[in-house]
Amino acid sequence: MADYYDELLKLCGFEDREIEEERPRIEKAFERLGIGPEDMETADSWVRQNHDVTLKGVSKLLGAWLKELIDVVLARDEGKKIVYYGFPAILGPGLILSASSKDVFVSAPDMVLDHTMGQIFNKLTPILEAGEANGLPPGHALCSLWQAKIGGIAKGMIPVPDLALASSYYCDMGSKADDLVTALYGVPVAYIDGVMDSYWGEFPDYLPERVHYLGAQINQALKKAEEVLGIEIVPDAWERSQKDSRPFRDNLVRLVELMKADPVPISITELELMEALSSSSTGRGIREGIRAMDILIPEMEERVKAGRGVSEKGAPRVMLRAGHTSDPRVTHLVEETGLAVPLTFILGSWGGVRVKPKGNYHTPGEIIADYEMSGGYYHGTEAQIKFYEKAAELMKLDGFIATYLYNCRPVATISHPQKKYLEETTGLPVLSLEIDGFDSRAYSADSLRTKVETFAYMLKEKKKSAKA
Amino acid sequence: MKALEKLDEHLKTRVTDLSKAKEQGRKVIGYPAGGYFPEELALACDAIPICFIQGGNNETLKDAGAYICRFFDPFWRSQVGYLTSGKDPYYTIADLIVIPITDNHVRVFSNTVGYYTPEIESFVFGVPHVKDNLALEYYLQGIRRLKNKLEEFTGVEITESRLKQSIALCNRERELLREISLLRKSENLVLNSKDFVALNHGSFLADKEVMIAILESFIKELKDTPPLSKDGPRILLTGSTLAQGDSKVMDIIEDTGGVIVMEEFAEGIRPYWGEVKVEGDLMANLAESYFMDRVCPGWFRPGAERLDFLIQLAKDYKAAGVIWYQLLYRESYKVESYFFPARLKKETGLPMLTVESEYDAMETGPLKTRIETLIETIRR
Repeated sequence: MADYYDELLKLCGFEDREIEEERPRIEKAFERLGIGPEDMETADSWVRQNHDVTLKGVSKLLGAWLKELIDVVLARDEGKKIVYYGFPAILGPGLILSASSKDVFVSAPDMVLDHTMGQIFNKLTPILEAGEANGLPPGHALCSLWQAKIGGIAKGMIPVPDLALASSYYCDMGSKADDLVTALYGVPVAYIDGVMDSYWGEFPDYLPERVHYLGAQINQALKKAEEVLGIEIVPDAWERSQKDSRPFRDNLVRLVELMKADPVPISITELELMEALSSSSTGRGIREGIRAMDILIPEMEERVKAGRGVSEKGAPRVMLRAGHTSDPRVTHLVEETGLAVPLTFILGSWGGVRVKPKGNYHTPGEIIADYEMSGGYYHGTEAQIKFYEKAAELMKLDGFIATYLYNCRPVATISHPQKKYLEETTGLPVLSLEIDGFDSRAYSADSLRTKVETFAYMLKEKKKSAKA
Repeated sequence: MKALEKLDEHLKTRVTDLSKAKEQGRKVIGYPAGGYFPEELALACDAIPICFIQGGNNETLKDAGAYICRFFDPFWRSQVGYLTSGKDPYYTIADLIVIPITDNHVRVFSNTVGYYTPEIESFVFGVPHVKDNLALEYYLQGIRRLKNKLEEFTGVEITESRLKQSIALCNRERELLREISLLRKSENLVLNSKDFVALNHGSFLADKEVMIAILESFIKELKDTPPLSKDGPRILLTGSTLAQGDSKVMDIIEDTGGVIVMEEFAEGIRPYWGEVKVEGDLMANLAESYFMDRVCPGWFRPGAERLDFLIQLAKDYKAAGVIWYQLLYRESYKVESYFFPARLKKETGLPMLTVESEYDAMETGPLKTRIETLIETIRR
């Protein structure tokens, strides 16, 4: 029998059969999340306002996020051993654990809450406030992604994990907040440590010591996970996880390739939904994401073939750092000003911007570490800025809206150097824009509008005069 | 105290002395505060180590604003400001800047040196955030690369005997600082915290042998010094950074009648609890002492070792309260300040006050009110 949420779930790509099969789980999860009939109208209009649900692939993608949410919320009830990793994350260890036991559930629940309670239900604020009240107060530029995680746990929406995989190689806040989870809930932590100690001018090189250290830390964390979770990592877990997630990566490459078209066929918001899923889930989200992409790719190809898109043909093309995880209006703002956004920094990893790893390593930890070093994200500030430089050529960009997150120290390091460097090396204009990529209460689309509109106007005039 | 006057005199001409030393071919090695640069290596190749410890001035943050956004620890933004503005001669006199990278706040300084002031040669190495054998090995690899760099840069080989001598020198300095600091365990206090901090800060800038002589004469002078007043509550002051020039919180504590009996800071206070062994593999000994033996800062994970140490210090130094002085946006300390007070209360019964600063004069009033309230509460 149909229930109050059926229509919303169908809007988010659920099949009738799936709703029926999952109904008890959906209801249990929604109850815990405080989602009721009164939320449906808001959610329906919020989804339609922010996502192109005329594309079946996009609907399916939203559904994939919802399924991941239900899985996170019910993981404890369903007897899973729960592992949370910090975001952004080196995903390999999570994939290995997930591939080693069906009883283990590995996820980045903060990202899941942002993309569902934020992007679908527009109900993230009370969760963030619970995070603020439980050790991560406002006014100190603390990570709002972590506020969502702590808030979700404090409100009993998501379960307390059995193990935290701490990303101690990138962000100081994350691994320290894992200590907070330990202090509050007694959760054991497996730290994966690393140091971003590259010198300016070093990228794309990196010292073998960094790979050895990070790799050994990953191997050590996996050992600890075995002990804490009482599982054994199967010998082919790494290969298997790679095989299972390969279609996701291959599809992302194809999607990014399609974004080279003019006009850009789809809002970057939808592609970011896809990319973020690949780094937030190690289980059903990946499988469902692959299904969504299989539908979305032909839909996009059709648009490209027909010359249809979300921007005007010939619109100035800019690159962003990332889409907003909880409030798509912030990302849409750029497109609303008449700019085309074919790529984000994050998606760039899948679009040929990446440097090849050195490849002389054999343990899973070192293979992963080598891959991540070459990826640049965990290498250092310079590597991140050089990614933008490379993307300019790849996507035929006219400028950059180089956002940086005020409350994420590793990202905020690029605030000023990125503008100087990119303007000097590419000759393209750069708007260095301070935002909060996870929480739009202080950095809303409207608060950013004047800056973005002015930049867009300038780019459009520049392009016009170049044509003339 | 005559020793402190001597230190002042020495530091007054220090920049000029450094310039002269440079003219004679000696190299000045600048390094930022944090305690992970083994000065012994610089001394062993006849170079002069100078630590960047200046802070507390909001004007410098404005200078830094041209290079980095606001949301970094003001001490590290200060380092960017001092380096790029040239307003403090210690920051521009260095021939080589060595940066042990600890957290992302330090990376901002490292990026600035590498990108904005490429005319100043720099060398970076990483300090892991966990204490285990893998991390120790990584740190050791870093200081081995540093040793090679210093040898190449100065043209002086760091022989075993030279390194041993410099270790002995630095051990002596640490021993003297420790001896002075330990005197504060007594109920009959003979020195105040500001004098100890002045000595500790001075040790980052002064000639090593001169500093040792000053510390020795300070200890002699203390023997004839009458005890200070016993009235005020004994305070353990802790936090991320206590820079030279950042005396606001210390001043307020003293003005409101509190007596600081111990300062535990990761940056700005030279670690003096341990010694470097002079037998065996000296590089390994340096790594063991500087990385493993030293009580870790708040950005290590987990931070339990430091929190245990604080509780022990509070007991040993008979503190009546703890003031946790953190700098704005240093997230490691902010997060720990949330859950540590409950543990402190449980294990010692002591109250803790968390105060925060961005080196802004406007903070003084609210800081004073809060600190006064704590002191008053303890008194009652």
